[in-house]
Amino acid sequence: MDQKEKRLIKKVKKGDHQAFADLVDRYKNSVCSICLRMVGNREEAEDLSQEAFIRAYNNISKFDSDRKFSTWLFRIATNLSIDSLRRKKPSVSLDAEIPGTEGLALNTLLPGNTVPPDEQIVMAETEQWIQKEIGALPDKYRSAVILKYVEDLSLKEISEIMRLPVGTVKTRVHRGREMLRKNMKESRGGRNDMPE
Amino acid sequence: MTCLNKRYASLMNKVLDGDATVKERNELFAHLATCDSCDRHFKELKRSTEILNHLAHPQLSADFTKNVLEQLPAEKQHVLREWTARHPVIATAAICVVPMSLLFVAAGRQNSMPKRHGEDSYILVNQTGSRN
Repeated sequence: MDQKEKRLIKKVKKGDHQAFADLVDRYKNSVCSICLRMVGNREEAEDLSQEAFIRAYNNISKFDSDRKFSTWLFRIATNLSIDSLRRKKPSVSLDAEIPGTEGLALNTLLPGNTVPPDEQIVMAETEQWIQKEIGALPDKYRSAVILKYVEDLSLKEISEIMRLPVGTVKTRVHRGREMLRKNMKESRGGRNDMPE
Repeated sequence: MTCLNKRYASLMNKVLDGDATVKERNELFAHLATCDSCDRHFKELKRSTEILNHLAHPQLSADFTKNVLEQLPAEKQHVLREWTARHPVIATAAICVVPMSLLFVAAGRQNSMPKRHGEDSYILVNQTGSRN
């Protein structure tokens, strides 16, 4: 952790809001990206990110300043996202395509769980497709894959975020990667026109 | 993948994780040059992860930081600290007033207490005496 960040955290521990605002500005994009890729909904991702920062502030006394702040913060964000996914998890998969329809799933018919039309335009088609494939991964593979490939973190850092041995993280990345490959290939109809 | 021999699957993982030795890399690439299914599998693995790296960071609402700050507990401790830093004389005086006033109260009690206690017992004895 760089010296400036150490100084900021020292101030935050004394209750300095402005110092905390600097930390929020430093990490808000990464935190929101993790949450978005985990839950797949922008509005929810922003709420979760805010919650993650508020929790970080309220628990800053427990943070060990010799460690990396981002690792600790990303752990909070990942855990909040997983909790939110579990709370919502229905007994029937809403992602499953309704038989006889072209790509129509139950969750596209439910209010609140849909991507608003104007956002659909903003979110490019490719991005939507990738997001859908990430969303199809089980939680534990999903978080490992997101931290590794979307956030570009090292396996060691991911193991600290998830508090798991590096070997376990590797296994999760391998399985997630293989599942992603298989699903992406199938959803593209086996054609080799995956966007570069 | 038809040929899939566990050996190559694990080599692919090692190469993709950046854990492979030069010898292991060479072994894998030599195999990929001769095996179409493994070659395709490896390319698909690479592509499906590389594509994740191109996902843009989401656009946050402009007042994200402001919204977070508004939900934090008030800066109480901080305000007190700033005030004492700005008015050190008043702060010191305020701190001194507390033990001083306690000292005065304690001294006042010590002077009056034994006397009052004596009077009380005297009255009590006197009252019982007059009843009999």
